[in-house]
Amino acid sequence: MLNQPSRALKAVAFLILSVWAAAVLYPLLWTFLSALKDNPQFLVNKPWALPETPLLWKHFTYVWQTYNFGSYFMNSVLVTVASSIAAIVLSASTAYVFSRFEFRGSRLLYVAYLSAMMIPLILGLIPLFFLLDDFGLINKLGGLTIVYTAWAIPFGVFVLGGFFKSLPKELEEAAYIDGAGYFRTFFQIMLPMAKSGLVTVTIVNALNNWNEYIMGTVFINDPTQYTLPVGIAIMQAEMQYRTEWGPLFAGLLISMAPVLLMYMFFQRQIVSGLTAGAVK
Amino acid sequence: MSRQLQRKLFIAAFLVPTFLFFSVFVLYPVAKGAHISLFDWSGSSEHMTYVGLDNFKEIVRDPIVWKAIGNDYFLVLGKTIGIVLLATFFAVAVTRLRIRGASFFRIAFFIPNIISIVVIGVLWRFVYNPSIGFLNSFLSLFASEPVNRPWLGEEGTALWSILWPSIWAGIGFYFLLLVAAIMGIPASLYEAAEIDGAKQGRQFWTITLPLVWEQVKVSILHIVMTTLNGSFVMVLLMTEGGPDNSTQVLGSYLYQMGFRQFHMGYAAALGVVILIVSLLTTLVLQRLLRRDTVEYS
Repeated sequence: MLNQPSRALKAVAFLILSVWAAAVLYPLLWTFLSALKDNPQFLVNKPWALPETPLLWKHFTYVWQTYNFGSYFMNSVLVTVASSIAAIVLSASTAYVFSRFEFRGSRLLYVAYLSAMMIPLILGLIPLFFLLDDFGLINKLGGLTIVYTAWAIPFGVFVLGGFFKSLPKELEEAAYIDGAGYFRTFFQIMLPMAKSGLVTVTIVNALNNWNEYIMGTVFINDPTQYTLPVGIAIMQAEMQYRTEWGPLFAGLLISMAPVLLMYMFFQRQIVSGLTAGAVK
Repeated sequence: MSRQLQRKLFIAAFLVPTFLFFSVFVLYPVAKGAHISLFDWSGSSEHMTYVGLDNFKEIVRDPIVWKAIGNDYFLVLGKTIGIVLLATFFAVAVTRLRIRGASFFRIAFFIPNIISIVVIGVLWRFVYNPSIGFLNSFLSLFASEPVNRPWLGEEGTALWSILWPSIWAGIGFYFLLLVAAIMGIPASLYEAAEIDGAKQGRQFWTITLPLVWEQVKVSILHIVMTTLNGSFVMVLLMTEGGPDNSTQVLGSYLYQMGFRQFHMGYAAALGVVILIVSLLTTLVLQRLLRRDTVEYS
């Protein structure tokens, strides 16, 4: 390289990026340390002080049991798993048809799915509430699952449509010549080839649904059916009457842990999946 | 069974369930929302009176709506400037300046994007907590007496206090978009520039920026749209629109009107306004940002 960036420029840039990295990572560490403190430590010590010994690990079991985070956690798992599976089945099938078959109205239908990605959810929030109510699905995890699934379809159709298009057609054509039907060709030949795309979309959906708050808070008002984000928001609101900072931060950590674990293992898929949705 | 029939059957089996689901739980509610906006309705079925465009006339006269639109655009502007400037700087630093730890920064900066908005809300509310929060404790180190400013409770600071977490939470995503874009630029262009003696600054303005302009544009449009459609969640979690509506945005006002005060017709009309505002803004912006996209030659 003839013209290296100057040392001073590099040093300043490195410093600024390090500050930002601290701003991003320190809250995680801080949440963990704060989960181990009791109220007096919050009131007397500085917020960045280390927790005093003995460390209050019991806050994790306390929030899990007394604040029902155990049940919120299970509810979140159920809704996330069910809606991610349903969404991938519904969007992969439609995406495949769009990528391989032309029929009357196929362009229009595809555009309808794509434009839905730009519709603000809040526009449908009120009618959805009454629709679920008509079906008896308010305060039901099943209702939340259905709504999460439906609103994830456009993203899945868009990303998987592109993915199927990029796969070679020769194998399918060979299968057809061998006399395989459309269904068998799809399930035995296309699905295995599309695995990485399916995994990416499923992970992104799971992440979004695990973190989702606004639909959860509107459609669920029964404490036994709360998901983690709803439970956390309610606990935060109750802090005005019953202040328990340590357990609250333990609760935050419980909700973040699965996401951070997923990020450790699927970092590439999460990043590529989330960014794929933005570049329309 | 003929091949033609098989084909039709296959297409139907793969399209219809998805489309039914999508129609009932996405298309229908959105259309129904536009329909409800023409009624005066409290949510209980007996009292649903058709009022034509009265809700919209009322909206135009409602000072809170104008305040909310102003706040929406404040967040749009603040987030766009803050995120695009920082994300671009960070992206250039880890690619063109070749600083150490680039892959670490790329992994770390994305973390706020995978954390629930509720968690972000709780953490930042603690930062702003008047008596035991981070910000005031830090400021107190430099003051003669303890600072206990209620950042989220004062009209002058509340909206700014919502802007910072929004920028903090948004950067990683656009940072990675821009990193990918810059890495896609052919190295030969930079080599040629270096032979001509162009310094880093000049390389940025003449090569990097023109060639990633497409991605910067996509980022700006994406920030604007997601802010207009979604910033209300942050507002609800941080201030619920208060104090005295000073942080209200259209979405949080819709939520309050619909689910707190049960003016469903009025709230639905606000929803239509949000859609119109966000589509118009995107259209105008697309015009403004039109600039000859440079292709690699």
